[in-house]
This record gives sequence, structure tokens and C-alpha cells, in this order.
Amino acid sequence: MNEVGPLMHGVHPSVRGAEAGPPARNAQAVALPVPEPFPEALPEALPEALDSLHDEPVTEPDARPHARRWAARASRGERWIARMLRTGAVMSGGMFVASLALELLPRDESVHVAIDLLRKGAASMLLVTPVARLAMAGTLLGLRGEWRYTAIAAGVLGLLALAVGAGFQA
Amino acid sequence: MTVFLLMAAGVMAGGLGALLGIGGGIVLVPLLALGFDIPLEQAVPASLMCVVANSCAAAASYVENKLSDLRLGLTLELATVMGAIVGGLVAAFVAEAMVAVVFGLFTLFVSLQMLLLRTPVQEPVSTTEYVPVNYPLGISGSFVAGGLSALLGVGGGPLKVPLMSYGMRVPFKVASATSNLMVGVTGAASVAAYAWRGHLNLGLVAPLVVGVLAGASVGSRFMPKVPTAVLKKLFAAVLLLVAGQMLWKGGEGLWPSLWK
Repeated sequence: MNEVGPLMHGVHPSVRGAEAGPPARNAQAVALPVPEPFPEALPEALPEALDSLHDEPVTEPDARPHARRWAARASRGERWIARMLRTGAVMSGGMFVASLALELLPRDESVHVAIDLLRKGAASMLLVTPVARLAMAGTLLGLRGEWRYTAIAAGVLGLLALAVGAGFQA
Repeated sequence: MTVFLLMAAGVMAGGLGALLGIGGGIVLVPLLALGFDIPLEQAVPASLMCVVANSCAAAASYVENKLSDLRLGLTLELATVMGAIVGGLVAAFVAEAMVAVVFGLFTLFVSLQMLLLRTPVQEPVSTTEYVPVNYPLGISGSFVAGGLSALLGVGGGPLKVPLMSYGMRVPFKVASATSNLMVGVTGAASVAAYAWRGHLNLGLVAPLVVGVLAGASVGSRFMPKVPTAVLKKLFAAVLLLVAGQMLWKGGEGLWPSLWK
């Protein structure tokens, strides 16, 4: 007898009542629980049971934490890519704004040099940002085991280097 | 005063580019050439720089919100760069005007279809639960987009967004965000080539980029909230503009030979 309910041995309960004859020889192999009558007190007990469900932490099978960990890592990776793109854009924009602000100062050789340096730095940072994003995306996908995309990212970077080096407008 | 007007033009191009995933260069080049009397050899690299700025600012938000498909972007990017290299190689043997006319007619067809289609194509319900289909079409289309980018100096966005959305069954917003991510890389390579030849005017680029960064930040915040139908209509209108530009460019090149 288990905790669920009284057991009836031998044949399926749909073809045999509890009062029927002796148990069959292989009774243990086909032991089936007989459902108890539906408790009348259930409607009162149900809200309390539901409340206790909310209080208790939901535990999941062993495979789930691993999947959750991968999902969290993927999400972190995307956040890093976003952070890098935003940093590149903000720093470049800040340097361009600073160069525009310097134009308001009286023209001087040092001011001119500073404006030129700021603009060249801002333009370089802006151009490097998407390429760095590509490299980062390839690396992150590789760390997740998706080597196909790492190879694709490496291929794109190689082709871009080839195109720029050869003077093509890719 | 001119600096503020350039910034305003940048804000408009950046906002539109971030919303539609087209980079904004297609709006900026005619605006700079016609509105500010800037020669094309300076307007094109400046607008490409704005495409890169737009891509960085908008893609940051889209990647964070999981609207950009990194894997699809990488796959199509490879085809685009290969197409751009092949386009650069065959540029000497292809009549640019003819290519412009063909591309113009194609964009005209796509835009009219988007504007006049009575029963719109069924979109995936969610921007996260979809599976891109028809990769061969997407890859070959991206290859063509890269080639056209090299031949005609247009970004691949106007071709890649409908390709992903209609050809690969990717939600329109994801297609737009993914295109935004991709145009930055190809734009950066193009600008590098122009900069090495000394065609990049940083005095012109500075106010434009500042405006584009502001416009793209605002546009990328608004895009997830804008209804897809509105974005599609806006995209179709911009495609009409592209078609007009291409047909004009092609017609200008073809007309003297036809006249003779």
C-alpha cells in the first residue's frame, strides 16, 4: 500500500471491483492505485494550497540550471556588445562635441591642433567600434560553443582587411 | 548657423535610419548635395561616416533589447562583404547607369508593393520566437546588396530589410534592427577607403555625426513602440525616394547614349 491510496492487485480496476476474488500470482507487478473519493473539503483547502505554492521556491530538474546559466551568459554577452557599441558612440560623439566647442575659441595654432587631434581620434574610434563589435560577437558566440559563427566573423574581418588593404570600397 | 543646420540634418537622418535600419545615408547625400551645396565626393564619405555612427548608437539599444539577430547578421554580413568585393572588382566592366536603372526599378516595385498591398504578409507574432527561413535567398540577396553597395554607393539596408522581412520571414522590426547592426561594418570599411584617399572632410563630419548620434538614440528608443504597419509605410516612402534617386542617376547616365 502506498501513500496515494489503497492498492488493488491483479487486474485493472475498470474490470474488477475491490470485493472480487483472490489476487493473481504476479500481483505486485501490476499493482495500481485506486483513486479515493474526491474530498469534499477540497474547495476550502484549495486557496491555502495555492498560497503555499507561492511561498515555496519552485525547484526544477537538474538540466534547467545549466540552461539558465547559458541563457544568463548569453544575455551578459549581448549586454557587453551593447555596452561596447554605446561607449564607442558616446566617446566619439563627446570628442566631436569638444572639437565643435573649441571652434568657438579664438583661432590659435594650439587650438587648431587640438581640434584636428580630437576629430581624428573621434573618427578613428567611430570606425573601429563596429569592427570591434564584430570581433566581440564572434568571440562570444565561440565561447558559447557556436564555432560556426566565430569562423564567419573571422571570415568577415579577413575580407574587410583584404578589401581595405586593396583599396576596394567594401 | 550652418553647423546647427547640419546637426539638424543629422538628427533627421539618424532618427530615420535608426527606425528603418537603412543607415540614413540615402537621405543625407541628396540633402547635403542639394541643400548645402556640398560636392558629392565629400558628401558621400561624410554620409557613410554618419551611417557608421547611426549603426553604433542604434545597434547598442537593439542588441540590449534582443531585437537584433546577431547570428543572422553575421551570416548575411559575410555574403555582403563578398558581394562588395566582387562589385568593386567588376565595377570597371559594368555600366553603372544600367545597374542604377535596374536597382531603381526593383526598389520602385518593392515600395509600391509595400504601399499598395491590400492583404499584408503575415508577420511572426513575436520578435523573439521566429525561425529565419530561406537562407539561400537571404545569402544570395545580401551578396547582390553588397555588390550594389560597391557599384552605386548605396547602403545595403534598402535591399536587406525587405529581403529579411519578406524573403526570410523575419519580423520587420528584427530585420530593421539587424540591418542597422550590419551597415556599420560595411560603412566603416567604405569610409576607411575614402579616408585613405583624403576625401573625408572632418569639419563637415563633426556636426553631422553629433546630430546623427542624437537622432539615432531617440529613434532606437521609439522604434520598439512604433507599430510595424507605420514603419513599413515609412520604409516604403523612403524606398520611393531611393528609387527616384536611382532612376534619375541611371537616366542621367543612359539618356545621352539613347539620344545619339
